[in-house]
Amino acid sequence: MADTVFKLNRAGSVALVTIDNGEDYRTPTTLGRSAFESAVAVIDELERGDWTAAVFTGKPFVFCVGADIDEFTKVRSPEEALEGTRAGHGLFARIRALPFPTVAAINGACLGGGLELALHCDARTIAADVRHVGFPEVALSIIPGWGGTQLLPRLVGPEAAAKVIVLNPLRQNKLLTATEAVELGIADELIAPVEFVDDSLAYARSLSKSERPDPDWSELDTVMRKARSRVEDAVHGATRAPYVALDLIAGARDWPLEEGYAAEEQAMAELMTAPQAQASAYAFTVVERRSKRPPNLPDAKPRLVQKIGIVGAGLMATQLATLFLKRLEVPVVLRDIDQSRVDDALESIRGEVKPFLATIVDGGTGWEQFSGCDLVLEAVFEELDVKREVLAEVRTVAPDAILATNTSSLSVEEMGADVGLHFFNPVAMMPLVEIARTSRTTDEQLATAWDVVKKLRKRGVLVADAPGFVVNRLLTRMTTVLMEAIESGNTVDEVDEAILSLGMPMAPSVLREMVGPAVAQHVLETMHQSWPDRFPLTPAPGERRTLEQIREEALAAVADETQHLLAEGVVDDPADVDACLILGAGWPLFLGGAVTGYGKIPV
Amino acid sequence: MREAREVFFVDGVRTPFGKAGPKGQFWRTRADDMAVKAVRELLRRNPEIPPERIGDVVLAATAQVGDQGLTLGRDVALLAGIPDTVPGFAVDRMCAGALTAITAAAGEIAFGAADVALAGGVEHMGHHPMGDDVDFNPRFVSERLIDESAAVMGRTAENLHDRFPAITRERADAFALASQQRAAAAWANGVMRETVVPMAVFTDDGWRVAERDEFLRADTSLDGLAALKPAFRAGGRVTAGNSAGLTDGATAAFLAAEDTIGELGLAPKLRLVAYAYAGVEPHLMGIGPVPATKRVLEQAGIGLDDIDLFELNEPFAAQVLTWCDELGVAADDSRLNPYGGAIACGHPLAATGVRLVAQLAYGLRERGGKYGLTALCIGMGMGAAILWENVQ
Repeated sequence: MADTVFKLNRAGSVALVTIDNGEDYRTPTTLGRSAFESAVAVIDELERGDWTAAVFTGKPFVFCVGADIDEFTKVRSPEEALEGTRAGHGLFARIRALPFPTVAAINGACLGGGLELALHCDARTIAADVRHVGFPEVALSIIPGWGGTQLLPRLVGPEAAAKVIVLNPLRQNKLLTATEAVELGIADELIAPVEFVDDSLAYARSLSKSERPDPDWSELDTVMRKARSRVEDAVHGATRAPYVALDLIAGARDWPLEEGYAAEEQAMAELMTAPQAQASAYAFTVVERRSKRPPNLPDAKPRLVQKIGIVGAGLMATQLATLFLKRLEVPVVLRDIDQSRVDDALESIRGEVKPFLATIVDGGTGWEQFSGCDLVLEAVFEELDVKREVLAEVRTVAPDAILATNTSSLSVEEMGADVGLHFFNPVAMMPLVEIARTSRTTDEQLATAWDVVKKLRKRGVLVADAPGFVVNRLLTRMTTVLMEAIESGNTVDEVDEAILSLGMPMAPSVLREMVGPAVAQHVLETMHQSWPDRFPLTPAPGERRTLEQIREEALAAVADETQHLLAEGVVDDPADVDACLILGAGWPLFLGGAVTGYGKIPV
Repeated sequence: MREAREVFFVDGVRTPFGKAGPKGQFWRTRADDMAVKAVRELLRRNPEIPPERIGDVVLAATAQVGDQGLTLGRDVALLAGIPDTVPGFAVDRMCAGALTAITAAAGEIAFGAADVALAGGVEHMGHHPMGDDVDFNPRFVSERLIDESAAVMGRTAENLHDRFPAITRERADAFALASQQRAAAAWANGVMRETVVPMAVFTDDGWRVAERDEFLRADTSLDGLAALKPAFRAGGRVTAGNSAGLTDGATAAFLAAEDTIGELGLAPKLRLVAYAYAGVEPHLMGIGPVPATKRVLEQAGIGLDDIDLFELNEPFAAQVLTWCDELGVAADDSRLNPYGGAIACGHPLAATGVRLVAQLAYGLRERGGKYGLTALCIGMGMGAAILWENVQ
């Protein structure tokens, strides 16, 4: 990671400070140790000089994305966490105390510590094209500890602060656009990007140092009650960070800022070294790395995909067709045995896409329409013979097409497909695609599959053609443990509660209903054929378990099955398993994945 | 027969000029963004002109590729936030690009095709070194269509020294010194404040505000200039001190028809009286403004003595001195480049023309006077001249 430097220039009597790591926008500027050193030097200059105002801004497209996540995994003791938090407070408090007006000119991504720096300024301008403003900390099981929990509620009130600091991070880390930031009162002035720095300098020159009015605290109790209940629904107590963050926001009403800083320092000392935060930092980097090209992807040139076929017109096929059409913008044809199902699917797809795209999707009951397809994806009923049959038909009319299957558990090779493309339901929401290669998958087919997944804006993980790939195999293995508990006298509610208390997004019983008990049973049977010992069809009754036992057994089963996945070479890198669980099963970052189990993070 | 409409120069503005290359203030700024800055400042300074009334946006660039490609007038208009109903295009006549943009736009106005037009130019010589992407036709040399020195502007300046022995290195250095001194004074008075817009630029040292021309050397001395080595020929006379450096810069100007001026309540600065372009031997391109000036005077039926202010481009002191000697104007005539010239501020090829006109308008207002002349020499052997009448 490049060193971040605070660079000071004079614009008349205004200090113009740029936070810049010297890299382009693909390496966003963070606030690591080196940044602090240069920041101190710049603030010394600001305190000494006869400035009339100061403007802080970032290199093009990035304001500052906050603390360096690589550094935070190195924090090993509460004392270190305390010290790091205090250092941030010390630095930012000096910015806040400058005797002239200070403006944060938010020109691009402004996250975490970057937003806290901005909040320590007297005012904020924001370029209208900014789309990434927020506090992702709670999603990483920490809190915005450099004054964020104290200054944001003072600026915008407790409701907006709870939304930005606590609730948005729990909603897939939702970030704010420039317009939303202005509407919430986080930024004061929405400025066209074209002359943003010049206009922000003009804004700073016109600003006078003045106190802001107190926000409305009258609804604090109601706000907190509602927010706590939403946090409870999301994490079930499995991570402390969102609860602590709400307490700090509430505390901001009565604490002087110094006291608020101290409370943040204590909170960070507690949270940063907790297993949830360390697991989150690990999981975050694991997921980020999955967005890059994997080392085991062949170097072949992907085929240009200009026509796509989807076999099937059911719920999954409809979702897949919609996604392909929206992202690839090439003709898509569907085929089902029932014309009325095709018509329903087409109606639904056409209602979701731009008018032109609606004209390039078609479907029917014949096979001839697949002629000329570059890629055909089957999404028919999960029955090997059926799949084998439809793929053979497709192969006849489209001999050059890459045949892909969306199977969740059957053998890609046996059904006669070239490659597996396993999407997760709901397709629009779930980022993962398991890309399954067989012994016959060519380099071009695999490269094309990867390329298509990337263009669909999904995260691909390369897996071997093994029953259930990664996600379904692990979840099914976990389910066997849960079924055993139920067979042993635990109630469904108890099992649900045990799993939810891990912070899982959905209760197992709800998930099973969503997938469909028949499908789940079918997957189990497929697994059972390969590994009857670990995937029994009828669970063996035993002692009734405590919730703690259920949790431990569930995670132990996942960890054990992961070892089998690795031993068989289904994935090459243990981190791929964790990425699959986070991206495909919605496991929370603070569980850290499955490889080493909860809280035990590889160093 | 229909009548041509009178055309007026309403206002002109430029970015500061920067040194081309990695050390220059605009190295990490796009050329089209510089043009956008000039255009937006022009719009701001002239709120009486509704942007949708602009009939055409004519922008010049010598290198029409990369960040100066994509039919610059249209590209910059859209980037500057001008409504998409306003068209635009790009022109090239090398150093006279902006003057050609002005006369092309003036033609549209005179003919009735546009009521208001925006004209200007940009050249980021750091991103586009002169001739970088040019594929010189070998016939020029094999058939001796031109002398090969014509391709290198500095060598054409040496050719002027050869052709006119009275133009010595000493006279060139003296002229350069005066240019620097006049420019230094100009930055202290109002002309630059009125015609130059500061621009925030991103650099290796972070964001800073470009607000001055980087070629200014207020401390230049004759001894210092004399010590410089010739840049284009051993024993030659053309040095970095008595010529304009490679420059990044952008300019923009508003022109309007007489009746539109009344309708919108504009306060025009100059009336376009006449203009002329002339061709000369390419290896003596610096002589180009001489026939262009003569032709424009002829068209207007006035003499050189009737002109109160000259804004001549100064790519090389030798080139200005040629013009002075040929037309009988003293090199230190107070009517000639009173605010210094390109030797002191730089010469971003296709952008320069508007700088000359804007400074001429300021000068005629400050000093009084009726007629003013802007003129440039042009690579490949041409000259351009526009005669203006002060209406302030």
